[in-house]
Amino acid sequence: MSMDWLKNDEEEAREYWGRYKYVYALVGIFFCILVARLWQLQIIEGAELRAFSEKNRVKETKLPAPRGLFLDRENRVLVDNLPGFDVTLTPQYVTHLEETAEAISPIIEIPAKEIVDTVKKSRYRDGPFRPVRIKDNLTKDEVYQLKVIRWDHPGLNVNEVIVRSYPLADDGAQLFGYVGEISRSQLPRLNEKFEGKVQFEQGDIIGKSGLEEVWDLTIRGKDGVSYVEVDARGREAPSENPIYFGFKPKPYEAGNNLVLTLDKDIQEAAYAAMNRNDEIGPRIGGVVAMKSNGEILAWVNSPSYNPNLFSTGISTKLWSELLNHPFKPMRNKVIQDHYSPGSTFKPFVAVAALQEKIINPTTLIHAPAQIIYGRRPYHDHSRHGYGYIPVTEALERSSNVFFYKMGIALGIDRIASYAKYLGLGGKTGVEVPHEVSGLIPTEEWKEKAYGEPWQPGENLSNAIGQGFVLSTALQMAVGFNAIGLEGPVVKPFIVQKIIDTDNNVLKQFEPEVVRDTSKPNAEGLVIDKKNFEVVKEGLRRVVNGKHGTARWSAQLREIPSIQAAGKTGTTQVRSWSADEVYKKCNLRPLNLRHHGWFVGFAPYDKPEITVAVLSQHSCSGSRGAAPIAKDIMLAYFRKYHPELMKDAPSRHVSESPPSDDEVAE
Amino acid sequence: MSLDLKSNLQVEERNFLSRLDLNFAFAIFALNLIGLINLYSATHGIFHRDKSNLFWMQIAWLVVGWLIYLGITLVDYRSLVKKAYWIYGLNMVALVAVGFVGTVSYGARRWLDLGFFKYQPSESMKVFLILVMAKILAKMKPNSAMGIKELAWPALIVLIPWALTVKQPDLGTATLMLATSGSMILFVGIKRGILIFAALVGIIAAPLIWNFGLKEYQRNRVLTFLSPGRDPRGTGYNSIQSKIAVGSGRIVGKGFRKGTQSQLEFLPERHTDFIYSVLSEEHGFIGSFITLGLFFVVYLMSIKIAIHARDRTGSLIVIGVGGYLFWHMFVNIGMVIGLLPIVGAPLPLISYGGSSLLTTMLALGLISSVSYRKYLF
Repeated sequence: MSMDWLKNDEEEAREYWGRYKYVYALVGIFFCILVARLWQLQIIEGAELRAFSEKNRVKETKLPAPRGLFLDRENRVLVDNLPGFDVTLTPQYVTHLEETAEAISPIIEIPAKEIVDTVKKSRYRDGPFRPVRIKDNLTKDEVYQLKVIRWDHPGLNVNEVIVRSYPLADDGAQLFGYVGEISRSQLPRLNEKFEGKVQFEQGDIIGKSGLEEVWDLTIRGKDGVSYVEVDARGREAPSENPIYFGFKPKPYEAGNNLVLTLDKDIQEAAYAAMNRNDEIGPRIGGVVAMKSNGEILAWVNSPSYNPNLFSTGISTKLWSELLNHPFKPMRNKVIQDHYSPGSTFKPFVAVAALQEKIINPTTLIHAPAQIIYGRRPYHDHSRHGYGYIPVTEALERSSNVFFYKMGIALGIDRIASYAKYLGLGGKTGVEVPHEVSGLIPTEEWKEKAYGEPWQPGENLSNAIGQGFVLSTALQMAVGFNAIGLEGPVVKPFIVQKIIDTDNNVLKQFEPEVVRDTSKPNAEGLVIDKKNFEVVKEGLRRVVNGKHGTARWSAQLREIPSIQAAGKTGTTQVRSWSADEVYKKCNLRPLNLRHHGWFVGFAPYDKPEITVAVLSQHSCSGSRGAAPIAKDIMLAYFRKYHPELMKDAPSRHVSESPPSDDEVAE
Repeated sequence: MSLDLKSNLQVEERNFLSRLDLNFAFAIFALNLIGLINLYSATHGIFHRDKSNLFWMQIAWLVVGWLIYLGITLVDYRSLVKKAYWIYGLNMVALVAVGFVGTVSYGARRWLDLGFFKYQPSESMKVFLILVMAKILAKMKPNSAMGIKELAWPALIVLIPWALTVKQPDLGTATLMLATSGSMILFVGIKRGILIFAALVGIIAAPLIWNFGLKEYQRNRVLTFLSPGRDPRGTGYNSIQSKIAVGSGRIVGKGFRKGTQSQLEFLPERHTDFIYSVLSEEHGFIGSFITLGLFFVVYLMSIKIAIHARDRTGSLIVIGVGGYLFWHMFVNIGMVIGLLPIVGAPLPLISYGGSSLLTTMLALGLISSVSYRKYLF
């Protein structure tokens, strides 16, 4: 039995013998396929793949270049860089997002859910390899605690970063601007714009506004690269013998510094003057102080914001608060908004009237309380009128009727050509972003803009700086400066020098006179020096005269050696209903109160400094704006001409302000 | 019958070493050693010192594996085949139980937690199916190809555990199950008509399975395989990194423990599924070729054992186990060198892992058992 069984077995197994050749063939074929593939990868593509693997091992890390500093004219730091730390999560390397979020949440005091959401959102938008910044500006304690737990949480990194710092905080914020990460929409646009000059990448810090924005390419420097050995989780490998395979680290090139024309002392004085605590309270608006050659000394807008908050990533809540603030803290009101100049426009009309020989310096014009023109009454702010006055007194008292009459006699086009000649109605060309051009209307302009002819009555309102006339504070400063210098229209500038980190001067900016209005231009337009002198005398009296609208605030007039000149202006916020409800300006809601202007220069005969102040909702130019200009001028003369200030009274001049302020209609 | 067994055992005990196929055992052991060397490199990197105990674990598994190998060698495969349905049945119970009480990890329910050991029933089912299939197929008339009637029963036997495994889901194991049993059926031979019909069904079913049968991530894997550059840092990452690792080894490799791809963790799962890339990176074409060669030496030896088997059951078991080993190796290495899509499958005898090693040694033990009882001509 046993033998039978064995015999059967043997025969059975032999039945398969014919099939093994297929099995051998199949195994042989597969062997060849695998060997061929190994040959292809390791022998043919080996060199290329070896290079890949080396690149893999050595990770390129960006070394961000520190941005250039902003220095004032005495090399004092206005905008600085500070070392700081931030914490990032790289989604690709994070193994347990929830756990990691829970772990870091108590350290940095951000809810875990918020961290998870931020990371997920960024992963969705920017891909898994972009580190997501969770918190900036870490404290030493936070850095320490995060570094302790870092190894348990792949993808968690604490990075040393450079934080842009603004020691002046909200003083000058709109001028200096702020920095932030390049946005997704900006990236392609800027790369196209600066093609060949700089290649921006996602995550780069760029200047977002102000000087930071316009001078970005000059001050941003060049980022360097370093190479570190890393694992696929992005963690640096503590290799004892780092071999860089010829990858040479490239140090960053620090950005160039900007030496500004600003004077920190004057800037601080201007800021303090705007944020004064008198019966009006901290001012809303903008102020610019300029040396007569065009060097900007101070530039303040208020209310303001703290740009340090932007360097470290501003919260959406604060951002929307800033955007929705009724008095627009983010706006650079000195150039970004134009307003009716009101009575500060009158000196330009006076120049035109004198030059066009409508009047001469001694011509007396009847200036009653009101005139009727085209069956409509045009009021003065004085209920009594001034009788017969010359142009100097008309400026001193800011007579509306006098200038209505000038407007009728000149017509808008002649006013416009002088105003524009003196620098209004066009950009000054200062290298600060978002400058608007203002508006000096002409008959032709109205026809084009409205499709209606110019109305004769409009000559009156526009002659006192209302109607269509619009100007920025900086334009007013340039215009008054031209009057003060008796001709030259300067180009205001704020960057004096570009210097490298070793203080080598790379570029120097010289004062620039755009045109001299005391010399005839191509169209034969010219303003005689003697006419300037007449207008200047009027402006001197505004500050120093018996009836001057700014006399009470002119502490300078107590100093015999320095006499300032200037002009106040008050313009209504257009709300006719408010006029009916409220008799007195300061009873109105803040946002319906008049704007006050003061533009002036000193010393009046040989101007060194010109200041333009726009004080919104302060009710009056003389009380709202003039004291600010006075403070700035005093600060200037105390610093630069202490010898002239010896006679300066230490007591505060307390003189009651004029009861009637000039409110232009 | 019991007398027969007893007499057999007596014979075996007398001539154990001479009857054991030593060359076959050495070839397997050589592969084990290569595996250990690589595991050491893969687990003693700069990071994950906590993984260094895996090396010692694997040595322990190896000892157990060889005990199983030698133990199975001594057990007559014919007695195992006799109990094949029982074994199959028990394994089915475990497989069904997984669906209810199995442990979930990586989104799949594959394991039974036995406390000291996580048991994966689908893994052992791959081996036990070989026994059942050998039992069934050996009864077929040798020189006539199988028709539908003959195929029905073996097909049912395979498809039930297959379906349960697909459901877990564990597509890799299910496919290997099908490949192993399919190899055995093809070896025995089926009617040409059925083959053509099956091919046609496959062609028609493919787009349907693509659209309705596969999950998003599974479709992604296939798409990525067809074009790895599609998403180099996402789904294609593993595939690309693995190819870079293999290719960068060039001819002689970067040297033991000097593979940057694996040491710096660019390679995923480098001690299990991607162990062959560590080997290829550190030992180059020479190392990869020798390892591959050893696998094929094992296959050629197996074929020889099948030819000389005492009976058809023995031949079929050897073909089954050989197919099992071959397809596992091909799927793993094919994935590592970018010939196949990424599926989670270990490389038998080389990858770390008790489950894989023990089942492989058990399966190889069956070949050894067949060899042990071959006729000496």
